[in-house]
Amino acid sequence: MSITAQVERFVAMGTRIELYVFGADHAAAMIAARRAIERVDDALTIHRPSPTTAVNDALLAGRGVAIDDPVLIEALVAIEEVHAETEGAFDPSADRRFGGAGWGDLMFDRRAAKLFALKPLALDFGGIGKGIALDRACAALRDAGVASACLSAGESSIAVVGKHPLGGGWPFAIPHPRGGDVVLVELEIVNEALSISTTVGAGTQAPERAAMIRPSDGAIMTAARCAVVVDRNGGRAEALSTALLVADDDLAQRLLHRGAARRFLYDLSQEAAPTVDVVRMQAV
Amino acid sequence: MNHQEFDLTRRSFIDRVLTATAGAGMATAAPWAVSAASAAVADPVKTNPVRLGVIGTGDRGRTLIQNIAKTHNCTVAAMCDSYAPNLAKARPWVGATTRVFSDHRAMLDAGGIDAVVIATPLDMHARHSLDAFDAGLHVWCEKAMARTIADCGAMVTRSRAANKVLQIGHQRMFHPTYLNALKRAKAGEIGALTQIRASWHRNNAWRRAVPADTTDRQINWRLYRDSSAGLMTELATHQLQVGNWFFDAPPTRVIGSGSICFWKDGREVYDHVALIYEYTGGRKFIYTSLLNNARYGCEEQIQGSTGTIEPELGRIYQEVPAKVLALQRMQKDVARGHKRTVPIGGATWFPELPVTTPGEALGWGEYDETMLQFEGFGAAVRAGKPLPGLLRQAYQATVASLLGEQAMDRGEAMTWPTNLVAI
Repeated sequence: MSITAQVERFVAMGTRIELYVFGADHAAAMIAARRAIERVDDALTIHRPSPTTAVNDALLAGRGVAIDDPVLIEALVAIEEVHAETEGAFDPSADRRFGGAGWGDLMFDRRAAKLFALKPLALDFGGIGKGIALDRACAALRDAGVASACLSAGESSIAVVGKHPLGGGWPFAIPHPRGGDVVLVELEIVNEALSISTTVGAGTQAPERAAMIRPSDGAIMTAARCAVVVDRNGGRAEALSTALLVADDDLAQRLLHRGAARRFLYDLSQEAAPTVDVVRMQAV
Repeated sequence: MNHQEFDLTRRSFIDRVLTATAGAGMATAAPWAVSAASAAVADPVKTNPVRLGVIGTGDRGRTLIQNIAKTHNCTVAAMCDSYAPNLAKARPWVGATTRVFSDHRAMLDAGGIDAVVIATPLDMHARHSLDAFDAGLHVWCEKAMARTIADCGAMVTRSRAANKVLQIGHQRMFHPTYLNALKRAKAGEIGALTQIRASWHRNNAWRRAVPADTTDRQINWRLYRDSSAGLMTELATHQLQVGNWFFDAPPTRVIGSGSICFWKDGREVYDHVALIYEYTGGRKFIYTSLLNNARYGCEEQIQGSTGTIEPELGRIYQEVPAKVLALQRMQKDVARGHKRTVPIGGATWFPELPVTTPGEALGWGEYDETMLQFEGFGAAVRAGKPLPGLLRQAYQATVASLLGEQAMDRGEAMTWPTNLVAI
């Protein structure tokens, strides 16, 4: 008997969300997962009025702001942790419009749920928002008893629940972002998230996509790189893959070898066209 | 270019036309081009040429004279223009024996010509054509045919009554790239044609300097309603002909909006036009022309279910198959009990930007389509029979352009007239 899947596709977090839930009828679980993602989108979006835009208005005006949205608080906590872990390489407030201002110019009081800006700046959750959304959707599916599911936010952010419906891990290949037949890496994941970030390829041509900024000096990243990170936590995977793109070589090495997660960084700058000789720095 | 080189170029051009018109259905779709090219091959030496009298030696008239000079079967025997400097500029392009007149009536009365070539302001086309037919002459007239639909019909009727050829200048109908494009569309290479999106965008005032001894209305006749429908008759008519040609029918209805939006300089014709021409089966020709932005230039995007042709760029494109979502494929794999690696990490956002695949060339090169249409005209005059199919195309193109003007002026949909002269 063939294994069927329930499928849900919709637009959220600025991209195409796909939810594949395998096994028994999990209609209610699917709805819960979708609502979880939409809830994160509502909280973190900067493309329509949201708790995040309200916070940004205050930060840009140099005011402190109390935060009462639990999703936004959870995101800020996650950022604070991963900003420290990446030695500042992941910074959702780095933006050339605000000069050298960044996360270090913010004071976040977790207990009081208050945020203060020492310099005008604004937050853009971007990739980490997608990771958090998938994490919450996975949690909703698990809570509803789903044993096997695959979730995607635009095919660059993946999260899976349990094992592949046919057993074993979920097998993924990461093709060269410029196309062709070159595969950068193949890996299997179980109950994990996978994040792919790159400075080249079709995904970088999206309208309104902001330039990738190196927080340490505000420089626009022009080096051709691709980072792949597997982590139990989707938000963390997203933050780490972004950090790897902007990190200098020393920091990149430290990030690659820190922790047990699978992390890969590919230097694609030497290539005129995709080849198998991509310069690869990785920790397994 | 010496004569030998020119003959080689000419021969190569005619060969391309013959090749392009050799496809299935092309004898019906472009019979005039088949006839003209065949006649050009059969008549390789300039003997006993058809004697032409050119009425109007302004910029366009002089361009025509230069093309006539390239033909093997036509010669400019006389020319006339009411503005002496135009005649002086045309003089170097004609033979020493070419007679010159300041009035078209005098040229017609003087005799010694077989046909006239009319390159005068649009509102003069009908009068000059009718006068020529009355003088027993054949007529080659610049597009558009005439300022009114009624005048267009009168020209057709009078040419028949006089048993003389009436040919209108639509050089795209002799252009190897267009013929090739039509051939490939007829062969089904771009699937079912459902829409043509055409534009002619320029970024200039379309206004010429007025010499002291003339008037603005004489020089800038294209900007005034009594002498021109502006963008519709001077530019759109070419592209409407292409639309009718590829859709193999005239439109059934047109809606449109026109305005003097940018060049508020006293002109009377629109400097912005946007129209939708409807064809049977729900097909559409969507047209814009304007005079303050040239980015998209002149083009007809002929859109089918499996491809697109852009004849001005000379390219044909196939539709790019829709991307299959990686996880969608994974779902199907699982359903049939197959586990395989899922390639992932593509664009987070699938662009629906214009497809930028390079496509394939339709043929390009040094073309002399204006020369060929005169060779065709020469052959038609000699045979006393018009090139087949040509006049209907031209008539319907001009009617379509004038109907579009009416739709914009009235702000209402205009249906295709039922009282046109049958051709």
